[in-house]
Amino acid sequence: MSALVALALAASQLTLWHAYRAAEEEALQQSIALFEAANPGVRVESLALPYDAFASKLSAALPTDHGPDVFIFAHERIGGWARESKIAPLDAELAELGPQFIPTSLEALKFEGHSYGLPLALKSVALYYNKKLIPKPPATTDELVALAKAHTGRDAAGLPTYGLAYQLKDSYYQALWLHGFGGSVFEEPGHRLRIATPQAERALAFVRDLALRDKVIPEEPSSTLVSALFRAGQAAMAINGPWFAGELSGVLYGVATLPIVSATGLPAKPFLSVEAAFVSARSSHPAAARALARFLASRESAVLRAVLGRQVVATRAAYDDPRVGGDALLRTFRRQAEQAVPTDNTPAMQAFWEPSNRALAAVVGGGVAPADALAQAERRMIALTRPVPERRSAWPYWIALGLIGAAALVFGARKRTKSLATGPAASRAARRLGLARAYAYVAPAGAGILVLVLVPFVLGVGLSFFHHSEGHYTFVGLHNFIEILGSSDYRLTEPMSFWFTLAVTLLWTVSNVALHVGIGLGLALLLRDPLLKLKGVYRVLLIVPWAVPNYITALMWKGMFHRQFGAISHLLKAFGLEPISWFTHFSTAFAANLVTNTWLGFPFMMVVALGALQSIPADLYEAAEVDGASKWNQFRHITLPLLKPALLPAVILGSVWTFNMFNIIYLVSGGEPGGATDILVSEAYRWAFQRNEAYGFAAAYSVLIFVFLLGYSALTRKVSQTEPA
Amino acid sequence: MAEVTLKGVHKAFGDNAIVRGVDLEIASGELMVLVGPSGCGKTTLLRLIAGLEQADAGDISIAGVRVNEVSPRDRDVGMVFQSYALYPHMTVRENLAFGLVLRKTPRAELDARVAEAAALLELSPLLERKPKELSGGQRQRVAMGRAIVRRPRVFLFDEPLSNLDAALRVQMRGELQRLHQRLRSTMIYVTHDQVEAMTLATRLAVFNQGILQQVGAPLHLYENPANRFVAGFLGSPAMSFLPGRVQGQVVAGKGFSFALPAGAQVAAQDVLVGLRPQALRIAAEGALRGEVEAIERLGSEGYVYVRTEAGPVTARFEGAADLHVGALVAIAADAASLQLFAAADGTAIALRPPPAVRAAG
Repeated sequence: MSALVALALAASQLTLWHAYRAAEEEALQQSIALFEAANPGVRVESLALPYDAFASKLSAALPTDHGPDVFIFAHERIGGWARESKIAPLDAELAELGPQFIPTSLEALKFEGHSYGLPLALKSVALYYNKKLIPKPPATTDELVALAKAHTGRDAAGLPTYGLAYQLKDSYYQALWLHGFGGSVFEEPGHRLRIATPQAERALAFVRDLALRDKVIPEEPSSTLVSALFRAGQAAMAINGPWFAGELSGVLYGVATLPIVSATGLPAKPFLSVEAAFVSARSSHPAAARALARFLASRESAVLRAVLGRQVVATRAAYDDPRVGGDALLRTFRRQAEQAVPTDNTPAMQAFWEPSNRALAAVVGGGVAPADALAQAERRMIALTRPVPERRSAWPYWIALGLIGAAALVFGARKRTKSLATGPAASRAARRLGLARAYAYVAPAGAGILVLVLVPFVLGVGLSFFHHSEGHYTFVGLHNFIEILGSSDYRLTEPMSFWFTLAVTLLWTVSNVALHVGIGLGLALLLRDPLLKLKGVYRVLLIVPWAVPNYITALMWKGMFHRQFGAISHLLKAFGLEPISWFTHFSTAFAANLVTNTWLGFPFMMVVALGALQSIPADLYEAAEVDGASKWNQFRHITLPLLKPALLPAVILGSVWTFNMFNIIYLVSGGEPGGATDILVSEAYRWAFQRNEAYGFAAAYSVLIFVFLLGYSALTRKVSQTEPA
Repeated sequence: MAEVTLKGVHKAFGDNAIVRGVDLEIASGELMVLVGPSGCGKTTLLRLIAGLEQADAGDISIAGVRVNEVSPRDRDVGMVFQSYALYPHMTVRENLAFGLVLRKTPRAELDARVAEAAALLELSPLLERKPKELSGGQRQRVAMGRAIVRRPRVFLFDEPLSNLDAALRVQMRGELQRLHQRLRSTMIYVTHDQVEAMTLATRLAVFNQGILQQVGAPLHLYENPANRFVAGFLGSPAMSFLPGRVQGQVVAGKGFSFALPAGAQVAAQDVLVGLRPQALRIAAEGALRGEVEAIERLGSEGYVYVRTEAGPVTARFEGAADLHVGALVAIAADAASLQLFAAADGTAIALRPPPAVRAAG
């Protein structure tokens, strides 16, 4: 058959984009080589892209001539791309080849009556179990719970053991219970997101009992923790995907499909992600591109990808090959894939994750009742998927912009004529020449500022007047600002409200700066003590926190705050105190963020204070001492006022940094509990990248942050001017 | 007003002994000048009195009370620093008032005392300025004012005029003297400038290498130095010393010979002959001869530095004498004013019986 295709194909050059690495990439390359051998006129240039940037790069490149002809990606984005006609429907191919593929994979590729992409590999989770501990995997949840309870406790070395480990707080995993309890993410007909359902409630209650009542699952299980526990034999079972197998060398493990939920008799069904070969709608060689996609989905390529790349391939015929069918891991994951629910491929799905994760965290972390958590999540979701606001006329805004521009021009011109009009004509000409030269000198820097600061700034401000949904921008005027400032969807005291977040941000900034300055200044005073030995050593040690990249520090602290395995819990236990679940209450989560950021922030203030302290002459203190000043009075009347000129700019800088300290909030508390510890800048991020791509809303947040900080800096400038050094 | 008493005071920084057993009594209301070359320990001694340094041994008493362990702010002393140490962030008024504010002085009294001190030091128009807006002399006056407003029992001055130019120094010296006369308080004043010391002091304490050499009224010290160091330190230009030997009524050295004053009874010994420039003059004939090395003309008079066979000698001349470097000159000496010091240890040798107690109190 490939010979037939080859006859039809003119000489052409194809581009293939993918995000494969290592063995998977090798398998793909071999497939391509086979394809090229069979089609002598066709050359395929493959390009491996970093996974994180892949989606955005595709979205940007597909509408242009620089995009790929064929690319391999998960099916989740089909809806968005299909609506924007970025990918070509492959209805004919699927009609012909459909029966060759595992049925669930075909479902995943359908969107609004058409099918896109040919399925290559399937990704879902299944149950891993340690064969030393569990001879026979559980068939039902009752068996699972019993086994898990039996293996929870302490091992021979006194280390804690858990029956089950998986990323409990991730809705991706929760979905398998949801489906097992008969629920679904969308309500049909109408295809409306719906998460507050009785089934979802029961699924949440089931997980809550596992986590909080039976305590068979470790707390805050990150993927690294799950992997570490399972490898060490401290977790008897784990729920994870085929990729997990690569981390398990040396462990005697088995993989089984997920159990049947005893309460309903339905199997637990995980989300299924289908990696497919898509053909770009703009490919200049559509026939060759389709042929390549077909080849990649063929049995020949599938066997290669399964054997070499250990992919759970979608092509059923590949499993006839003993090397594939005989692989227990591939076989189990194939069966699981048949019992899985493809993730929805419409853009609406993007509004599912954040609210649903928050509900999950509230229930298993904070002990909130499932019904309440789901109700709140549903409200949140509705707010995120609110309809596109009415399009506004842009004319009033253009007129306002024009007026502002004209006023600025007039003002600028007046200033200019004033400065140029003085002096005799000759010197005026000379000055003009000098000015021209000066402009030439600053031009490179000006260009840099234009491209890196001014253009993004103007675009950002412009964006705040638009509503974005599914790739379409609608001009809505001040609507975003009105919604944000009016807090129309939430009460003022709810974490999603702008005012609540602003209050948290202010509290965050003030408490941080106070601690940074307090501790920094205190240490600087200690370091100045003439009796202190090894000053240089201390100084270097104290600056270290500053020198370490802050996201690394943030991740280290995040680990230390872990309730079961964190260093802080161990310390508390050593003092006979009860470990704290740091991220379930606002006060403790805020404190955790604060501690981390203080650790990062004090060295800067210390260095500034130390420098300023060294410039205060010692005889001022002697004079003050003779004048009758106690140590405290010397500090208050001499040290503080003389530090002020150096410290004030540092405080202003520090407060702006802290106001926008995204890393710590995002990495340490992640906004937990329920977004309460999010600050304005992390909220802006979430609106843009975690909540239905509300770019306009996010931009409006950023503009408000900018306006706030502009006001603040104007105020502080005034303060520092009225009190000169 | 209070007397200050030092008994056996020692102070060392590491192995470096700075003050080596000083006994000194400073009477109430007296202006005592501590003078000596750099590194002689005079400033350290002042800081010991202020309490800014702790004595290793000995007693420091103010008004009869031992204060070794008392912190500076409780010693009730006022100090004027060499660098002035004005608080740069405070106005002149705030600088003056600082000590009073700390002592919670009532507002009315505080204002009155600041105004009084400002008037005394002619600082009234400058009260709202900051130190950096003042000239050196003005800063100096603020530093003094800051000590004055508190009305301390003892004033301590640490080379307060050394950062001023010569003219201003002379002027401030006068003001200081007037101030002392008005306040009549105990003042201890440290300087390395012997002119300042001579003009200001009620009594003078000369230090060298951490040891008190001699205490007394300035003129007494000038006329009756206890040793070669004091003799050489006081007086400008410095006294010249020529090695010689006393034989009967004559002291003679290389190329010179002086008759001792009538009635002098000195045992035969090796000595240093001390000659003040003011007691020597260029003449046609004289006891000393030598070659002119340098000439300092001050107008109506001048000093000439001459190398004689016995050693360098400084002599005074009057008017526009016809002198030039390299000329051979003769120097006449007023034998009555010569002083002798033992060659061995430099102590003064009395040429006449000690006079009645002249160095009062």
